[in-house]
Amino acid sequence: MASSNITLVAGSPGAGKTTWISQFLTDQSQDLFYLCPGMGRDSVDLVRIGYRFPWVSVIPENQAQTVLAGLPRQAQVYLELGFHLDLASPLLATLPCQRVAVLPPSLNQSEWHDWADEVIPGNDIQDAGRDPLPELWRSPLTGQVFDPPSLDELLIELTGGAYGKVMRLKGIFEMPDGRAFHIDFVQGLPGIEYTELNLPRWLQGRPNRFSGLEVVGHHLEQETISKTLLASCLADDVLAQYQHQYQRLHPDEETKEVFSI
Amino acid sequence: MKLAVISCIHGNYEALNAVLSDIDAQKADQIYCLGDLVGYGPYPNAVVEMIRSLDIPTCQGCWDEDIVEGLNACECSYPSQLAETRGRLAHEWTNSVIHPEVREYLATLPMTLKLDNLCFVHGSPSSQHEYLLPSMDGFAALERVLSADADVLFCGHTHVPYVRDLEDAALSVNVQQPDQTESPKQFQVALRQIVNVGSVGEPRHGRPNATYVLYDTDTAQVTLREVPYDYAKTCLAILEQGLPPIFAWRLARGMEFAERADDPTHVCER
Repeated sequence: MASSNITLVAGSPGAGKTTWISQFLTDQSQDLFYLCPGMGRDSVDLVRIGYRFPWVSVIPENQAQTVLAGLPRQAQVYLELGFHLDLASPLLATLPCQRVAVLPPSLNQSEWHDWADEVIPGNDIQDAGRDPLPELWRSPLTGQVFDPPSLDELLIELTGGAYGKVMRLKGIFEMPDGRAFHIDFVQGLPGIEYTELNLPRWLQGRPNRFSGLEVVGHHLEQETISKTLLASCLADDVLAQYQHQYQRLHPDEETKEVFSI
Repeated sequence: MKLAVISCIHGNYEALNAVLSDIDAQKADQIYCLGDLVGYGPYPNAVVEMIRSLDIPTCQGCWDEDIVEGLNACECSYPSQLAETRGRLAHEWTNSVIHPEVREYLATLPMTLKLDNLCFVHGSPSSQHEYLLPSMDGFAALERVLSADADVLFCGHTHVPYVRDLEDAALSVNVQQPDQTESPKQFQVALRQIVNVGSVGEPRHGRPNATYVLYDTDTAQVTLREVPYDYAKTCLAILEQGLPPIFAWRLARGMEFAERADDPTHVCER
């Protein structure tokens, strides 16, 4: 493990940690590993990195210790640390690693500055600070398929503050035409970014691949968000009707399961 | 004569009061109302009682029709599943609180009203549910005005006010009948106008202010009016009445309670 290069990346929500890491994941000649400690088995970032860079080993939290103990020589490892993790935790303190903080350029003093070996200027957003610590609310949605205009409306309301103050939102959502989209919002940056994921269309029943929503903010009305999410999802019969139509439009496309972690 | 034309009040009594005060200050001689007195907002009965007490000539809007006929529109009415769910909640709430005499009054409202060369409708002369958007094809827009046998067609329903001039319309038609030679016909249509008066109680122009229109029948001058009002009171009433809180959030931002239908030119087939 000592010969591996481990980089811990921390920073405020929306500063651009995943974006910064992504630039190093294009090199297919190396053994690349990506971990998101504290985010459980599935997280939007973990899954999206896996889809975007299939040659990268994305490691679920429950396998982290085993994988870190048996890393191949010269492996490049990136650990993305959520804002909610304690930077002084013993586990992080004992790792032989490079510490990088991706922070808004306007932030000059923070515990990330004290912790990091290197500070990278990220998105020019207002840092909301950690006092009080923002809430992190996650909702796995695997199998749910959304009515697209309902999802648009929900995202406008969510990011506009209808259900609490949202600083950061990211998610993977399934559409009735079988496509899946990554959705990204950072308070202070313009608009909501929609990126189609490079996956086969899922046109046979409910998608058996990860989708979900992660929201960081304050005073989040979690129950209302959950109800509104569900009200935006398609019922079985409606989904079947859509899928039947798209199958007729795309008769040559096959559904296949492409990724699992 | 100075006319004030209002529309789409949607149970927003505060907004209606503010607009009536503004109309009074503008010294309008006559008020016309293009319907949607009820639906979404917290004071459907009070709004109707106010309109009736002032004896304002009023057309029937799509929400008024739904309260009379029940929800029997085709899928066109809502752009999304979410909007439909919320619309149904609003309809059920309105339906449960509406007074019998108010329902009877809504049933008596006509589809169109005429005053000389002016016609007043909620959506279009074809349907309360049809949206006459400013981007609508010019020929189709002209057809709607001509079908109403009017020079100026006043409408609402979109909740965004605009004035559209339809000028210098020339139509050429070739009529071919069996065993007869083709016969060309030319039509020239003088200036026609569509005036959308916006919405009193449920604006969609990005600000919470109520909108309506003043029209001078002598000069044909159209004046779009935007009237601030205490929308926070309406928002509070929405919450107190148990209507979905998201309605209050959207109203305060001029976002309307639900978005416009996906295919706005579609004419509902009941």
